[in-house]
Amino acid sequence: MASSIDTQDLVKAYPRRHRHETPPLAADHINLSIRAGEFVSLLGSSGCGKTTTLRMIAGLETPTSGRILEDARDITDTAPEERDMRMVFQDYALFPNLTVAQNVAFGLTLRRARRRFPGSEVKRRVGQFLEIVRMEGFADRKPHQLSGGQRQRVALARALVTEPAVVLFDEPLGALDAGLRRDMQFELKRLHSEFGTTFIYVTHDQEEALGMSDRIAVMRAGRVEQIGTPEEVYNAPVNRYVGAFMGKTNILTGSVLGPQKGHLQVRLASGADLAGTAAAAVSPGAEVGVMVRADRLAPVPDSAADSALQAKVRERLFVGAQIEYLLALPNGESLVMNRPAGEPLLETGQQVALTIGPADVRILTS
Amino acid sequence: MTAVPERAAASRRRGAGLSAQARDRRRLTLWLLPPALWFFVFMIIPYLIMLHYSLGRMDDLRFIPDISLGNFVKIFTVEPYASVILQSAQNGLMTAVFSTLLAYPVALVMALHMKSERARFFMHILIILPWWASYLVKVYAWRTILGSSGLVNSGLLSLGAISEPLEFLLYSRFSVVLTLTYIFTPFAILSIYAQLERIPTSLIEAARNLGASDWEIFRRVILPMSLPGVLAGGVITFSLGFGDFVAPVLVGGPEDLMINNIVINLLGVSLDRPLGSAIGVVIVALAAVLLTVANWAERRTQVRV
Repeated sequence: MASSIDTQDLVKAYPRRHRHETPPLAADHINLSIRAGEFVSLLGSSGCGKTTTLRMIAGLETPTSGRILEDARDITDTAPEERDMRMVFQDYALFPNLTVAQNVAFGLTLRRARRRFPGSEVKRRVGQFLEIVRMEGFADRKPHQLSGGQRQRVALARALVTEPAVVLFDEPLGALDAGLRRDMQFELKRLHSEFGTTFIYVTHDQEEALGMSDRIAVMRAGRVEQIGTPEEVYNAPVNRYVGAFMGKTNILTGSVLGPQKGHLQVRLASGADLAGTAAAAVSPGAEVGVMVRADRLAPVPDSAADSALQAKVRERLFVGAQIEYLLALPNGESLVMNRPAGEPLLETGQQVALTIGPADVRILTS
Repeated sequence: MTAVPERAAASRRRGAGLSAQARDRRRLTLWLLPPALWFFVFMIIPYLIMLHYSLGRMDDLRFIPDISLGNFVKIFTVEPYASVILQSAQNGLMTAVFSTLLAYPVALVMALHMKSERARFFMHILIILPWWASYLVKVYAWRTILGSSGLVNSGLLSLGAISEPLEFLLYSRFSVVLTLTYIFTPFAILSIYAQLERIPTSLIEAARNLGASDWEIFRRVILPMSLPGVLAGGVITFSLGFGDFVAPVLVGGPEDLMINNIVINLLGVSLDRPLGSAIGVVIVALAAVLLTVANWAERRTQVRV
């Protein structure tokens, strides 16, 4: 029922504005290998090519070069209406002239689907799927009479009702407010495990991607920077960009000292020595970025270990469940630290010693 | 210290004790006064004069005021008035139908297939351009195209497709409706285009993504959403076609007179102002009915995007 999707060197060039211009690439050799039934997010800031990639998979955009395979079958030249994929659009794209029930029934009553879904089956299915998205009481409403969250549920029902092999999501929660977005994330996860369909999900929100996905592809400037499980991408980013994109983080400058007890020893520009893991092979003396997550730093009682980071509290922000500290290192570099709100507070101007385990220090060469 | 009482005094002078709402209403009245006055002097009063004439009669070139429905009875019982009104309506309807049929594909291509802003602008210019030429010139042009030694006939003759000129081409109902359709189609194009342009691309993509063929996308998404534009264009072209009196004279035959030609005749030649006015009243009443129905249909088909 679910199918796998592979993209091979997928390229999309924007139209050239001048004759001699090299066209910029919206997608620059995208290679994805998405397993059947997997929930994969394409994550990146706007203009990174994630939506273009999704639209090429849907067939709404023609690739400049490269191939798209569905279950190892080449579908690059298959018309969008022939592909067994349904898309959930950012603006929902519900038909305003049709009721909720008619919108959901749309895909079931087309010539292509009529053999699979006889008339009696259409009615039953529409009812069933409206129930699945908890919209059973709204069958006769028109889209303009619904709230954003309700429209999104209808769009979901319309996409799922034909039980497609792949469902594509183009920032479907972008227009909803924070609370509703969280609810819909749980809902999407539930639907994914219920149907076992392949979900490909485009978003710029790293929390959304971390929370729902089996794997995340972090994209930048038309390329996939890293693809991996949420844990891999969060804890072991391959470069500064991915590290900085996934959550609050500090990237300090340092140089490599050498291996020590299975880790790599680095000396920070601010003077302290830290042990960590490297994203790529690196030789002693090399200039590197040292990534330290804001929520993995912890203060220790008065300058306990001499290798610990020494810093001075510059600002303290109360951000709800957490306290955010802006710290200054001796060489002037700044550092963000997040601590749970229950702890004793540090005061502005106070000198603190910090620890961080080698597992939470990531050494980045690019 | 003195500023506050001064302002209070000023506001008392302008409208003492008026609530904000009442003041708003007053300001609105002031704004609406000029158009209302215009409407009253140049629309309501002439209509009342027309109604007044329609209820009277002529006695030896002298108008005798009366309250009689005799003129209206005459319109519906004596030939050719009612049948000419009907024929004019038919011409208007044909103009509307043919204009819409011609306009729809043009508007569709412009709205959905012309991606570049410049191409759309160019199309707009092409559509509006004929309106820079005088109406009469365009009607005369059709005479030279359709006449017995005109472009069409001489072309067909020289090709040997016909042995003598086709007579029905000019001075016929065919040429009247053809000319009216040619002249008024731009209105239909623009009104259908304006509606089609409002259809979000994502709706068409969604339909395609759900498995709809081109025909199903047109039939189930584009056509229903464009109906208000079709209706609006239809009403405009019908009204313009129905009310036209130039084309029937220049390219129509003796049988193809339209109702306004008769009205002009009654007012200017036979000097039967009451009967002419009565026809006017009937036409205004018909127009009111048509517009009400069209308005209702437009509201029913209009969708909120």
